[in-house]
Amino acid sequence: MIAMTGSTQRNVGLAIAGGAAIVVLACIAVLAADMIAARRQASLDDQRLEDLVELVKTDAAAAAELDAEHQRQTDKSVQRELRKTRVTWTLILAAVLFLASAKWLVSLRAQRPPTLNTSVALRAPPPTRPRKAGGDVRSHSAGGPRVSELGEQEIDLSFVDAIVAKEGCDGEAAVPILQAIQAHYGYLPDEALQRVCELTEIEPSQIAGVSAFYARFRRSPVGEHVVKVCHGTACHVTGARQITEEIRRHLRIAPEEDTDPERLFTVDRVACLGCCSLAPVMMIDEETVGRLTPGSACAALDVVRPEQPA
Amino acid sequence: MNHETTRRELLGHAVRGAGLLGLGGVAVYLTAKAGDEGVWVLDISKCVNSRLGATGIEACELCATSCVRPLSAVRAINDFEKCGRCYICPAYFDVMSEVDENGLPSAKLCPRDAIKREPIGWVDPDDPANNFYEYTIDEALCNGCGICVLACKDPSGLGSILLEVRYDLCLDCNRCSNAAACPDDAIDRKPLSRAGAPQRHPAS
Amino acid sequence: MKRSALLAPMLVLLTLATPTESLYAQYERPVDVAPTEEDIGSGYVTPAVQRPLPRSTLLNITDIVLLLGAMGISAWLGLVRRSRTGIVVLAIACAVYFGFYRKGCVCPIGAIQNVAVALTDPSYAVSYVVIAFFFAPLVLALLFGRVFCGGACPFGAIQELVVLRPVQVPRRLDKALGLLKYVYLALAIWFAVLPAVERDFIICRFDPFVGFFRRTGPAYMLIIGGAFLVLGMFVGRPYCRYLCPYGGLLAQLARFSWKGVTITPDKELDCGLCAESCPYGAIEKMRAVRTSCLSCARCYTACPRERAPARGDASVESHEATG
Repeated sequence: MIAMTGSTQRNVGLAIAGGAAIVVLACIAVLAADMIAARRQASLDDQRLEDLVELVKTDAAAAAELDAEHQRQTDKSVQRELRKTRVTWTLILAAVLFLASAKWLVSLRAQRPPTLNTSVALRAPPPTRPRKAGGDVRSHSAGGPRVSELGEQEIDLSFVDAIVAKEGCDGEAAVPILQAIQAHYGYLPDEALQRVCELTEIEPSQIAGVSAFYARFRRSPVGEHVVKVCHGTACHVTGARQITEEIRRHLRIAPEEDTDPERLFTVDRVACLGCCSLAPVMMIDEETVGRLTPGSACAALDVVRPEQPA
Repeated sequence: MNHETTRRELLGHAVRGAGLLGLGGVAVYLTAKAGDEGVWVLDISKCVNSRLGATGIEACELCATSCVRPLSAVRAINDFEKCGRCYICPAYFDVMSEVDENGLPSAKLCPRDAIKREPIGWVDPDDPANNFYEYTIDEALCNGCGICVLACKDPSGLGSILLEVRYDLCLDCNRCSNAAACPDDAIDRKPLSRAGAPQRHPAS
Repeated sequence: MKRSALLAPMLVLLTLATPTESLYAQYERPVDVAPTEEDIGSGYVTPAVQRPLPRSTLLNITDIVLLLGAMGISAWLGLVRRSRTGIVVLAIACAVYFGFYRKGCVCPIGAIQNVAVALTDPSYAVSYVVIAFFFAPLVLALLFGRVFCGGACPFGAIQELVVLRPVQVPRRLDKALGLLKYVYLALAIWFAVLPAVERDFIICRFDPFVGFFRRTGPAYMLIIGGAFLVLGMFVGRPYCRYLCPYGGLLAQLARFSWKGVTITPDKELDCGLCAESCPYGAIEKMRAVRTSCLSCARCYTACPRERAPARGDASVESHEATG
């Protein structure tokens, strides 16, 4: 593909289309003016010829003039034909150019989301984040999620200390502690989990088990917005699967992933959101959107999406 | 998969079969008549450029300008059986133009220079007038304006040059714009079998 | 560029001997009879008269073969291959050959009237080419729907290529306007079966696009054609859908077509992207309507299922299973 930003493409397209449109209009104007002028001129020319013919009847010397007039009119009409042919071809070429560039512009505006395969290819290298949290939590610390884009590499662990102090150090506190960490950070950062293991009696295996068992704990950072697509009975029947599929395609979320490459949206499937009459339903953060179609779901996401810098 | 034909499918097949039969029947009926379809033909007894007696007028030229083809499908042909092969052909030369040093008119009549003039056999340089000249019309250049047809006609010429609709070139429009433009209704459809015969003025 | 040939009066005038007479030839008819071959002598043979050549059979056969080929390819691209790109390429090719090269004059649309005349007037016949061009698309419509409109028709092709940002015409308006073509068809047949003197080939007279293909024509034709093309940028194929009488014939035959563009219903939800993408309003209640489907293959391009091949689908499934 041509390496151009969206706005450059748009400007180039607009320039070509506009230029071609002006040429088309100019050609039409020239052709029309030529036709009208020729029609007007024709009667004058005929009149002149007739006059000359009359003149020749009385004065044979005028024959040369008549000949010249013939020649002049013939030359003029030949030239007009030539001009017409040229202008017509220019018109055709300009019209083709206009159509091509206009179609390109239209396709730019409504760029179809890429196919699933393309979106997977877009995200290279493939993610290596394991979903299964088996084994030692600490072993993941080195290969844990890098969130450098958001500048969260150094996580403030003082919250972990505070919550451990509040909830206690025995095994029963595992779930409340994890809940609090999840609520605070939005996910369970590996560093925080390590810290919990260091401070309390909770075993890494226990943390792994708990965090993997409950669906609401997550081990990777969420996107800026969390999208929960309801997969309850009513929504399932009315096509929650298609909605999810189209949203994921639209956001270019790779298979095995739940967050788009820009970390703007995290798409989760959840059980009933409790508004089955609006099925199919999804929630974008705290906003509920109902009676979705794949198209309208994507449109709703685009409303939330901040304007991309051109 | 064992597929049973449903009533709906059967009906569909029946309708399609009937439709194909009907279309085929009409096509066969028409094909029986085909081969003698009409073609546009210019009638020289009506065309003002061609018809005898119409002299002292301007050439009509509508055939050259009306046809939907860029170069009209109406073209002039020279009937060699009737051509006088004159030294000064009134259709080749503009006999009203000034005489050049060879004693020939200096201008040619055809605005597109579509007529070629070739002497037949050996030409005596001292007496070129006493010779025959072959006048051939270049089909690629002729636009059927009819100026030469008018000029060759009796009384100035023998009337060997005629206008013809070249039906290999004719697009066979339903509405022939030449026929529509012709003030004398000289262009009309005739069955193909009768269109090929050469037209000739009655012997005068 | 009138160029007079005022021979007879000039003759009279010139023989009156004006002072400048010497400058001009004293013209009189040189001969009274054509010389025979013997007169000319030296083995001269009179050349054959430049008679009109018979119509080029080769060109006619080429036309028919190309028409059948174009319709076959159109059916294959539309129904089997489901390739929008292929259809566009075919449309360009047909617009160039049948349109610009053959001047839009090998056309079944105008042939309606010729066929109608030939059926009612015993003295009127149509050529084999016209018969082939008139009936082949009809037979194909019975088999595969309006594949002629989809790729082979030059008039359709030129409109297909100008579609820019089509709006969805409200269903009722679309239906009402669609009836116009049957009115036009009835009028065309009526004017064709009139006695020969009153006969009027109205389809050809108001044909909007031949003027473009020939790059010349009466001003009103060019204006109508231009208006249709400009309108066609925003309303998909206005002539085909609302006015083309042959389209009306094809639509009624396509109703019973054997195969056609199909939209497979989804298990849970029809997303409707195909209906949105159809500029011709041919998808109703998520099913392609055979009478108005022109097999342009746009719906396939818009369909997420068509775009995501089996492998991609499977990965979504597996992800959702694990997620």
